[in-house]
Amino acid sequence: MPCLLIDRVSKSFGGIKALDRTSFTVDAGELVGLIGPNGSGKTTLINILSGYLAADAGRVDLDGRPTGGLRPETLAALGVQRTFQLTRSFPRMSTLDNLLVAGSALGLSQEAAETRALELLEDLALVRLMHLDAGHLSGGQLKLLEFGACFMVPPRIALLDEPFAAVHPTMKEIMAGFIRRRHAAGQTFILVSHDMPVIVELCPRTICMNAGAVIADENTRAVLTDPVVIEAYLGEAAA
Amino acid sequence: MKAEDVQGGTRARMRTELLVSLGILAAVALLPAIVANEYWRGVFIVSMYFAMLAAAWNLLAGYTGQLSLAPAAFGMIGGYVTGLLSYHYNAPPMVGIPAAIVVSGLIGFVLGRIVLRLRGPYLALTTLSFAEIVRLIISNSIEITRGDLGLNVPGIFDHRLAYYYAMLAVLLAVQLGLYFLLRTPAGLYLRAIRDDEIAAASRGVKIVLWKTNAFTLSAAISGLAGALYGHFAQFVSPELGLISQTGIIISMVVIGGLGTLPGPIGAAFLVYIASEFLRGFGGYQLIVFALLVIIFSRFFREGLWGLLRRAFERARARPATAQAAE
Ligand SMILES: Nc1ncnc2c1ncn2[C@@H]1O[C@H](COP(=O)(O)OP(=O)(O)OP(=O)(O)O)[C@@H](O)[C@H]1O
Ligand SMILES: [Mg+2]
Repeated sequence: MPCLLIDRVSKSFGGIKALDRTSFTVDAGELVGLIGPNGSGKTTLINILSGYLAADAGRVDLDGRPTGGLRPETLAALGVQRTFQLTRSFPRMSTLDNLLVAGSALGLSQEAAETRALELLEDLALVRLMHLDAGHLSGGQLKLLEFGACFMVPPRIALLDEPFAAVHPTMKEIMAGFIRRRHAAGQTFILVSHDMPVIVELCPRTICMNAGAVIADENTRAVLTDPVVIEAYLGEAAA
Repeated sequence: MKAEDVQGGTRARMRTELLVSLGILAAVALLPAIVANEYWRGVFIVSMYFAMLAAAWNLLAGYTGQLSLAPAAFGMIGGYVTGLLSYHYNAPPMVGIPAAIVVSGLIGFVLGRIVLRLRGPYLALTTLSFAEIVRLIISNSIEITRGDLGLNVPGIFDHRLAYYYAMLAVLLAVQLGLYFLLRTPAGLYLRAIRDDEIAAASRGVKIVLWKTNAFTLSAAISGLAGALYGHFAQFVSPELGLISQTGIIISMVVIGGLGTLPGPIGAAFLVYIASEFLRGFGGYQLIVFALLVIIFSRFFREGLWGLLRRAFERARARPATAQAAE
């Protein structure tokens, strides 16, 4: 049984078909890249997987259990953790408290949450900012913080929507290393990114979407050289 | 080293806020020793009523980000619950006050459910309509409530000082209760919902549960305050629920510091005492407070408490930098 099953999921906004019978599966332990031109439906898919949007049609199963109709907080508790393309945080809470929210909400004791948060702050080079309100962090630091919050409790599946955007190359390397280590330890991911070198480096398998449909789904190198994929990106450039 | 790191920040700040709150309440406890005038002691008792309402509204607005315009209505509900129970059924305060807490809490729960998906101006307007509807129901149900004539409520104590210290004890309990609540993960959840509800949900915070809890608890505290006030004043009327009363509560919280522990209760005394002094000047008091609210929300978002805290920090930083310079 796959960890995540996406079966002919469709979603329209007015006349725009953001998702058009999108289907694929993700097995436990996979690190899948999700690419596609702007507006191809990647974020919409993440929003459906995490409960922020309801699909018009189709089904999503997490470990064989349908997730349709579940609220974001329920899905989070089931282990679906995400980041937002437009970073979200708790601006008037300290960096540390931002992480503790996630830890406590997912059932860690206060002590365990603090220990875990300190490890993550250490890993993400945010230790010296831990008592600063998140509202004072830079754009890149916020990305790191939100990224960290996903891993306060190892999620069943991490849905990362453009985690590297606006992040300094050094920190990007740290995040990539973090993802690589987690993946080696069995963590399941969907990684949305426009950063092809990182996708190539991290993801054994990549899915490319265009106009709401999956147009390629195989090993990353094959996807990136697939004429259909190149055409989709060129089409965007030409348009 | 790490454990201490974690101890700093939010927790240290909250501890300071608790200590300052206790300091304010200690000063209030000593006040009767200086002020023997019964009238002014009465003013302080009413200030404590407002302090409870302010603390309750602060839980909802300051910590949870739900700008309800119904706090005075819940005070009124509490006063009427115990008042009506005693008027119609001769129920003693021992029954009336707990009933006021429960009924206000239940109504708060229902209101919280109704406005669950509303934000900003929609939330404010819905809670305002709710407050006005409740006030109109009370003032028009003349057979039951005597309408605008108001209702006589039996007293509890013979001496004003007894009311004074009873109110103070309850205010202390409320303040301690809020402190201990906010120290638990509940405090994290409420503030997370205030800052970004969508992000809070994505981290697994049970939005429906905690928003409803905040509404229920805030309403219950307000109901308790109203019931105590009713027994002290020995009278309740629909005027308790006027929007102007809500305005006073909001000005107390904003001037004292939204989302801080000592701010609202400290400012409750300052504002109510000031309003007593301004009473002679007619309707100007509300204008003064409205202006202060505008100035504070524009320039001093953390209120008086924020100003004080920063002054402390600067004072503490100065000797340190002086040493460093040597
Ligand atoms: N809430 C919404 N209301 C209306 N249209 C929407 C909404 N969300 C997405 N869309 C539309 O759906 C389409 C897919 O958008 P989506 O954000 O999923 O793309 P994306 O693949 O994440 O793009 P990008 O790479 O730019 O982030 C776009 O045409 C977008 O305008
Ligand atoms: Mg997107």
